[in-house]
Amino acid sequence: MSTIMLVDDSATILLSISSILNKAGYTVERAANSEEALKKFNAGVKINLLITDLNMPGMDGIELIKEVRKLPDYKFVPILFLTTESQQSRKLEAKAAGASGWIVKPATADELLNTIKLVIK
Amino acid sequence: MDELTNVYVQESREQLAEMEARLLRLEQTPDDHDNINGIFRAAHTIKGGAGVVECHFIVTFTHFVENLLDSLRNSEIAVSPPLTTLLLECCDHMGNLIGVLAAQQAEPAADLLARGTALTLRLKEILDAVQPSTTGQSGIALHDDLVEVESYGGGVVNTDSWHISVRFGRNVLRGGMDPLSFIRYLGSLGEIIGIETIADAIPAAADMDPESCYLGFEIRLQTKATKADIENVFNFVSEECDLRILPPHSNVADYIRLLKELPEDPMRIGEMLVRCGALTQGEIDQGLQAQKTGSAATARECDQPPLGEILVESKVVHKEIVDAAIVKQTQIIEKKAHEAQLVRVHADKLDELIDLVGELVIAGASANLLALKSRQSELVEATSVLSRLVESIRDSALQLRMVQIGDTFTRFNRVVRDVAKELGKEIELSISGAETELDKTVVEKIGDPLMHLVRNSLDHGIESAAVRLERGKPACGRVSLNAYHDSGIIVIQVSDDGGGLNRERIRAKAIERELIQPGDTLSDNELVNLIFEPGFSTVEKVSKLSGRGVGMDVVRRNILSLRGTVEVSSVEGEGSTFTIRLPLTLAIIDGFLVGIEKASYVIPLDSVVECIEHKNLTGDRNFLNLRGEALPFVRLRELFETEGQAPARESIVVVQFSGQRAGIVVDQLMGEFQTVIKPLGRMFAHLRGIGGSTILGSGEVALILDVAALVNIVTRSEEERLLPHRNNPSFSALTSNSPAVQSGR
Repeated sequence: MSTIMLVDDSATILLSISSILNKAGYTVERAANSEEALKKFNAGVKINLLITDLNMPGMDGIELIKEVRKLPDYKFVPILFLTTESQQSRKLEAKAAGASGWIVKPATADELLNTIKLVIK
Repeated sequence: MDELTNVYVQESREQLAEMEARLLRLEQTPDDHDNINGIFRAAHTIKGGAGVVECHFIVTFTHFVENLLDSLRNSEIAVSPPLTTLLLECCDHMGNLIGVLAAQQAEPAADLLARGTALTLRLKEILDAVQPSTTGQSGIALHDDLVEVESYGGGVVNTDSWHISVRFGRNVLRGGMDPLSFIRYLGSLGEIIGIETIADAIPAAADMDPESCYLGFEIRLQTKATKADIENVFNFVSEECDLRILPPHSNVADYIRLLKELPEDPMRIGEMLVRCGALTQGEIDQGLQAQKTGSAATARECDQPPLGEILVESKVVHKEIVDAAIVKQTQIIEKKAHEAQLVRVHADKLDELIDLVGELVIAGASANLLALKSRQSELVEATSVLSRLVESIRDSALQLRMVQIGDTFTRFNRVVRDVAKELGKEIELSISGAETELDKTVVEKIGDPLMHLVRNSLDHGIESAAVRLERGKPACGRVSLNAYHDSGIIVIQVSDDGGGLNRERIRAKAIERELIQPGDTLSDNELVNLIFEPGFSTVEKVSKLSGRGVGMDVVRRNILSLRGTVEVSSVEGEGSTFTIRLPLTLAIIDGFLVGIEKASYVIPLDSVVECIEHKNLTGDRNFLNLRGEALPFVRLRELFETEGQAPARESIVVVQFSGQRAGIVVDQLMGEFQTVIKPLGRMFAHLRGIGGSTILGSGEVALILDVAALVNIVTRSEEERLLPHRNNPSFSALTSNSPAVQSGR
């Protein structure tokens, strides 16, 4: 089954999303910030999808996406980011950085899983 | 003139030439619909372009021409000689108008405007007879193909599925998306009935970026989902994707638009229809089956009806869609063909390249010489490889400037037609060897002499129909233009089946003009070629077309300046043939280097037949026995009055020019060598026997021998001995000038 890395500085979100994903049968790797996520990648964690928040202290989500795209193993891995309706310009910025798509917060479990189904098998 | 106008002027001149050629064809084949369409298309293109460059006077005039052509195309008016003449005049006028634009004048001059108005009135007259309503409009309706196609019926395509047409952006993969995932996801919305992968955008392997996405899909999807649902699937890539979604039972017009937007690739029509989802493969197969059985029934392959028609007949697709697909297909094919034909390069750039190649040839020869002197075999080998390459570059570079003579020839169709009408003669022009290539600079300069020769044939050569019938010839005279390559030169012939040259009149005239003496013995060939002498004209009455006193001598002078020759042969009562021989290029030749004392001379290699060594060339007779044939020769040492003693062993270079052979006696043979011709200064223009100069690898100047003149000198000087009463000035003129040759540059 697919492994999904979830990066968000909000513990609540990390928890809620990972529980939905776990229930749907996905393995979830969690990271509270970009640096932690990159550390895991460098340690050799293999994933099928990265879901990240954009607004995070330290390295923000867009920087993280750019960094991940530089890693040879993650050049083509799908990346979804969490956003709100009001963040249109950030959306384009994230796309330009190499994101595949987005999940609009707040999302229902169905919306979340449908979107994931679109980007990974 | 701005770039756009420049392009327009060039394009419309080409279109105009095409239009004229087709108009001339129109008289022979009035029913050729393709031809009429071609004429219309040319006028349409000229008008359309004029609109873009905002040249209103071309638009206004061409509009009426186009209207008339439209009526012609719709068979509302019939082809007739007066109509063709009118259209040809319109062509000329359009050419003049384009000239006005090219000259950057705001308005045509008054006389041109008047001619335009007169032509417009004549056009209107014809038009009013067929369609009184249309010509009344002063507004200009530009035809728009798109509107035309879309105006077809709004019938509904009988399909109950969605049609999705998507072309992914290049960055889709880099964005972490797999194109297949969209299809997989669509599958979860409903049933995918058909899918066609469009891989046309994939470039050649070398140019392909494996990280870029070049794919597109045509998908038929049966689903209860809404259009928004389907759109949502492509939400993540919507900015960079080309996405079109047609709902079930879409209008024909929607499919037509889709067809137009398909990738440019000459696909078979069936494929295109399947790809766009208007048809299923099954329907296509049925259509193909019907096509096969249909042709089997008639047992004639060429009668096979087009697939599109069958499909329309079996009611699986709308006629409009097939038509749109056909239009699309022809557009693509035409565009492809055009792209393959031409790369426009400014002539100056080519000339610069040729110049540089010329310098390269000289520099290469110099390196070769030094290598040979150094006696280092490796170096010699390296430079010889280099010079072989330089030779290929030279050939390819010259090839770039080669153009077919056909365009020059076809211009004469019009000339012959007009002049024949004016003279009241019936004359046809036959052209062969139109694909023969020669240097652009030569082509440009040969037009005038050719025009003169053709007009001469039309005017003086071809007899009137009555005389022709009396002589047992067909009433319709024939003038032929022919071109072919003959060992490094191009031969252009203008021949007619007219009366031929009258020897007696030529002789009488030549005596009258003191070109020859009454007692002179001339060969037939020499006699007929007297017509090229300055001031010679045998026609008593000066006509409007030719024989204006600036006769054949101007033709000959023009051709000589191209390093060519012209001669005439004629059989009285049967016709004459003018033969022009020209070098393929004016820039570079393969030369054969010879030496006398310390001076070097170059003989163009094309004319060298062989080299022989001869000991003790004694006697005062300047010819020798070469394998049983008498070979006249000339000693360059004597001809150019070089000081010093001839070596014991001299070499003879046997050269040939237009069938005549002669020997040139030189001290030493120095071998083949590529050379760039530099013209001699004006001071030396009158020298005979010298065609130009060149710079050797060592930096020394070598003179290039004019073989034609030398052969002439050799044979004449021999004849002079045999026929001492004839006074021929050319030999003495040359020798008296020879000190200038020696000290020359």
